[in-house]
Amino acid sequence: MSSHREAPSISQDPVADNADTYAFVSPDDPTTVTIITNYVPLQGPPGGPNFFEFGDDVLYSIYVDNDGDALPEITFQFKFHTTYQNKNTFLYNTGPISSLTDPNWNKRQLYSVSVIHSTGKGDEQDHSKDGEGTLLAKDLACPPCNIGPRSTPNYDTLAAAAVHHISGGIHVFAGQRCDGFFVDLGAIFDLGDIRELNSLHVIPTPTGTSVDTLKTMNVHAIAIKVPISMLTKDGSVPTDPSKAVSVLGIWGGASRRKVYVQDKHKRLKSGPWTQVSRLGNPLFNEVIVPVGEKDEWNSVDPIDDSKFAKYVKQPELAKLLPALYPGEFPNLAAYTKDRADLEAILLTGIPTGVVNGFQNYTSAKTADMLRLNVAIPPTTSNPNALGLIGGDAAGFPNGRRVFDDVVSIELKAVAGATIPLVDGSYTPDGAVGAVSSYITPASDRYQSTFPYLGTPHDGYDTPSS
Amino acid sequence: MERLNRRSFVKVAGVATGAAALAATPPLARAAIEGTPEHIDPTTGVPEEPVVAYVRDAQRGEVTVSHGTTEHTYRDPALARKLLRAAKKGA
Repeated sequence: MSSHREAPSISQDPVADNADTYAFVSPDDPTTVTIITNYVPLQGPPGGPNFFEFGDDVLYSIYVDNDGDALPEITFQFKFHTTYQNKNTFLYNTGPISSLTDPNWNKRQLYSVSVIHSTGKGDEQDHSKDGEGTLLAKDLACPPCNIGPRSTPNYDTLAAAAVHHISGGIHVFAGQRCDGFFVDLGAIFDLGDIRELNSLHVIPTPTGTSVDTLKTMNVHAIAIKVPISMLTKDGSVPTDPSKAVSVLGIWGGASRRKVYVQDKHKRLKSGPWTQVSRLGNPLFNEVIVPVGEKDEWNSVDPIDDSKFAKYVKQPELAKLLPALYPGEFPNLAAYTKDRADLEAILLTGIPTGVVNGFQNYTSAKTADMLRLNVAIPPTTSNPNALGLIGGDAAGFPNGRRVFDDVVSIELKAVAGATIPLVDGSYTPDGAVGAVSSYITPASDRYQSTFPYLGTPHDGYDTPSS
Repeated sequence: MERLNRRSFVKVAGVATGAAALAATPPLARAAIEGTPEHIDPTTGVPEEPVVAYVRDAQRGEVTVSHGTTEHTYRDPALARKLLRAAKKGA
C-alpha cells in the first residue's frame, strides 16, 4: 500500500502510521495549497465501541521545505486530547449526535495546531522545538466517527462543522474520512500479481479483475489548507513554473515520546519527541526500502536519505518484474544503469528540460519529499489520474492529489516507462502499457471541497471489517 | 521449589542484569561505590512525567536522563555505578 503498515515497527502502531501524504494546489481555491496526512489505516467502519481516533500521545507534523535543502522552514504540528462526557457508560454515544457539542457524544477528541518557523540550515533537521511551536489554535473539535443512521444521522453536517478557519486564512480538519488510496492488496502482495495479467505470471492462474480492496475502509486525515504566500520563501504566489521559488518540498511525520513507563493501567511518558513514521512520496518506504531498514528510514529525516538512494537507483521491484512475468520485460531486465529517472522523480525533483514546461527540482540533495510546483494551476476539468505521465502536470509527481493513481504511475515508472526521459537509447517494453492498478475508484471516494477526501463509510451500512 | 510469580521474576531478572553490568565495572571503581540503596515498596504512583535515568554504557559510565521533553546523557561513573548497585539491590 502507499504506506499502510509498511514497516515492521509502525505496523504495530496504527495511530502513528502515516499512511498517505497529499499536497496540491486547492482546485477550488488556487491561491492555497492543501496538505493531507493520513493515519490509522485500514479502518473497518463498524469498529466500536472505541471507534478509531488519533493518538493523544503522538505528535503529528507536516513539514514544508521552501528553499530546496530538504530541511523544513515551516512545520505545522497537531496534538490531540480525548475527553469523556460520561465515564460510567460503555457507549461512544448515548443518543444521536446532532452537533459537535451534543451531550450525547460521549468520547470526543480535540486538538491544537501550532507552527514552527526555522531557518532550516545545516546538515541535519532540528527537532529541538518539536511540540513547542507557536500556537495557532486549540481545542478544535474533531468530528465523531461515522457510526450509522441512529448515531450520526447527518454525518456530513458534523464533518462540515469540523472544518475550522483559524488565523492567517488557514483551514484545518482532523478526523475520519474514507481512504482515497486504491490498490488490489490481495493480488499485489500475492507475489506481485495483477489479476488482469494472471496468465503471464510465473505462477499463472486464469485472468481476473482487480479488486478495490480499500473501497470500504476509512482512515483518519489531518488536512490543512494554507495560503501559498505563507509557504513560499519570498512570500509570493508564484506564477512562473520555471522559478525555484515555485517548488515546495512537503512530507508528514509522527513522533512519540522516547520513554514510556507502563504503570498498571496508565502509560506515562518522558523524554524528547522521537520520530516513528514519515512519508513523502507514496510507496517509497513500502516498495523501495528493504525490510531490514524500513524502521530506520521512518526514524530519520529526508535530509538523511542519501543512505537510501542506492535502493532508488537499483530498485528491487525492477528486478522482480522480469522474474515474475517471464519474457515480458526483456529490455528492463537488460537495463543495468542506475535509474536516473526514478532518482529525479523521487529524490531530487524533475529538472527543467526533462518534461516540456515543467520542473519540480529542489536540489541535488537526495531526499524523499513530495515536490509541488505551486505555479502549475490545478486541473479543474477532466484531470488525469495518471498525473504527469498522463499529460496532467497538476498531478503526481507534481505533489499528489487525492485521486491520483499512484500505483499505476509508480508501477509504470519502475517498469521503465520513464527511462527514456533521461536515456534516449532505451525503449520501454510493450508490457509497460499493461502494468496498471486497473482500478477506477467510485466518485464518492472524494469531494470537490476541503478536505477533499469523501465521507467516511458508516459502520451500520458497511459491516465489512 | 519457590513459586515464580511476577514479582519474583522481576527480582531474578534484576539480579541477572545488575550482576552482569557490575561485573563489567573495573575492580577499583567497584571499590569506590558508596552508599547502599534502600529497597522499599513504593506507596505512590509514578509521576505523570517521570524523570527516567538509565545506564546507557556501563563501561564508560554513561547515564541518560529524560525529563519532560528533554534528554541529556552524562558521563558520571559514580552515578552509573550507583544505579547498577541499585539494580542489584532490587533483587
